[in-house]
Amino acid sequence: MTDPGVDAGPHAVLRAEMRKGAELLSVAAPPGKAGGTTSDLTVDEALLLHAAGWAPIDLVCGVTIVSVPFGVWTWGQSGEIGVASDAHGMAVRGAVDRLRAECRRVDGHGVVGVTVEATVRPHHIEVSLVGTAVRPVSKHPAPSAPFASDLSARDFTLLVGAGWIPVDLAFGASFVYAPWRSARAAMAQKMQNIELTNYTQAMYAARELAMERMQQSALAAGGTGVVEVKVSEGPMSFARHAVGFTAWGTAVTLVAASHQYLKPQVILPLDDAVVTFDATSLRGR
Amino acid sequence: MTNETDLPEAAVRRLEASSFSSGLTVPDFAACLELGLRPVGLVQGFCVMQWGWYGAGSSFMRGMNPYTPSGQQAGGYSQTYRCPHGFVSAEHRMWGQNLEQPWVEAAWESGYGTAYRRMVEEAQAVGAHGVIDLKDRISHVSESSTTEFHFLGTAVVVEDGAPPAGGVPWTTFLAGQRLTKSIEAGFMPIAIVASLASVRVWAYCMTEYLMDGGRGGGPTGPTGAREVDQVTEAHMVVRQLAREHVRRQLGGDAIHGARIDVVQRELSQGDEVLDCTLRGNRVRRFKDYDEMPAPRPTVRLT
Repeated sequence: MTDPGVDAGPHAVLRAEMRKGAELLSVAAPPGKAGGTTSDLTVDEALLLHAAGWAPIDLVCGVTIVSVPFGVWTWGQSGEIGVASDAHGMAVRGAVDRLRAECRRVDGHGVVGVTVEATVRPHHIEVSLVGTAVRPVSKHPAPSAPFASDLSARDFTLLVGAGWIPVDLAFGASFVYAPWRSARAAMAQKMQNIELTNYTQAMYAARELAMERMQQSALAAGGTGVVEVKVSEGPMSFARHAVGFTAWGTAVTLVAASHQYLKPQVILPLDDAVVTFDATSLRGR
Repeated sequence: MTNETDLPEAAVRRLEASSFSSGLTVPDFAACLELGLRPVGLVQGFCVMQWGWYGAGSSFMRGMNPYTPSGQQAGGYSQTYRCPHGFVSAEHRMWGQNLEQPWVEAAWESGYGTAYRRMVEEAQAVGAHGVIDLKDRISHVSESSTTEFHFLGTAVVVEDGAPPAGGVPWTTFLAGQRLTKSIEAGFMPIAIVASLASVRVWAYCMTEYLMDGGRGGGPTGPTGAREVDQVTEAHMVVRQLAREHVRRQLGGDAIHGARIDVVQRELSQGDEVLDCTLRGNRVRRFKDYDEMPAPRPTVRLT
């Protein structure tokens, strides 16, 4: 199948390592101690973290479900749906606290690559977080308040290399009722191309409110800024007149004396972009 | 397939043929050869399980009575919640319970494990040292209460390498570049690991009210946003149990690329079943980390 002569080439080391690995498994392993490292990182990410002086410890989770009282989504009012915004904030904070508690239990210094899933239902809001607890390879004592970050291992490595450290997940949410017009106003504006200023103002204010809350949560956690902010918005599937805005990111702070300029190396790939062929596109689908 | 160790005749004929088959893509095939792995056959394993009746009157209806918690299997998770209001009405849920369902976990493990063993058996039949690019699929078949567990992978032989102890091939979800990097990093695949944890939530009055938005006020009157302790606890526990089950399989090794999935079936307000699966690649270190240069940031001019 393969040419034995190739073993003299650059792949010889790789093949030797493969054989070494196979040799390890050729003898029955002694019964190991219970437990072991679990992580959702890929090999690439684990290597990258290690190169930056960090190691994965354990997969950690945090979940919180908060009830939303009956009637809060009912139209007829205007402005923010305060109870829903509070419920969202409570669910996120509870989930982050549980995630950090699990991180502390395994002596982690923080959690990277946190996957955030937030579901808003008519009567409850569910927030679920999953990430990998990490610690420095040099094993410094674990901090009392480990950080939580939705940055990937790659972005975390880059951030740490630049002298910054994540401190916490920053978040903010705002739910508002779509403003309604009187029948008279609606009829009067029916034939006009005009700005609906009440809509504009309500949406503008709600977006700003969500972002402000995110920024406040970053400041409360001791961050000096927020990176990788993700903003989502849209009407609730069960109440189209209610619109939700959320803003997420990772609060960061500078730990080095000053920002470390990374001096990225500029590279010019000489390969052509891969041309993909999609048969279905020939039929215009 | 009355006996777990029997292979279908067609499988025996296919595996005895002089040609090999593999599910690898061409790049993965090339990477596999560079690593000194020779594909010897496409191997698979199946198991179709029927889910029995776990409802009222079945022998599995354990944990329902709050006064006999011993009905739960020893060591299994169980937590009881009691109504803080006293007697309100006959319909009032005076108690609730979060209950691990070991019989569901055992059935899942049996189906998953049997399909896996059958695939490994095929790999042994072709003299493989390992199985790479493993794909597992769990799907419902014709009847709603039946589930098929299916494994598909490419059996390989390590050229000039030692066979695994006991002739049991190692397995991994990885292939191609990702497998190569794992070996270069000093991690040898041992086996895939997977587990399921199942928790049933029997809501008590507070959970029922809160998950229904406190409709009707409930005995405590309307409430603001409030954490639903029982359901939150169930979600946390089901994830913890899945991780504990996997850790028991690790024996001190590490798991890479773990994936955690939770399926939630709502039965009524607050009543639900949570099934959490966790799977990944169990790996063992066979050499120390090579000294790696610090990663260098680059900017592509494309």
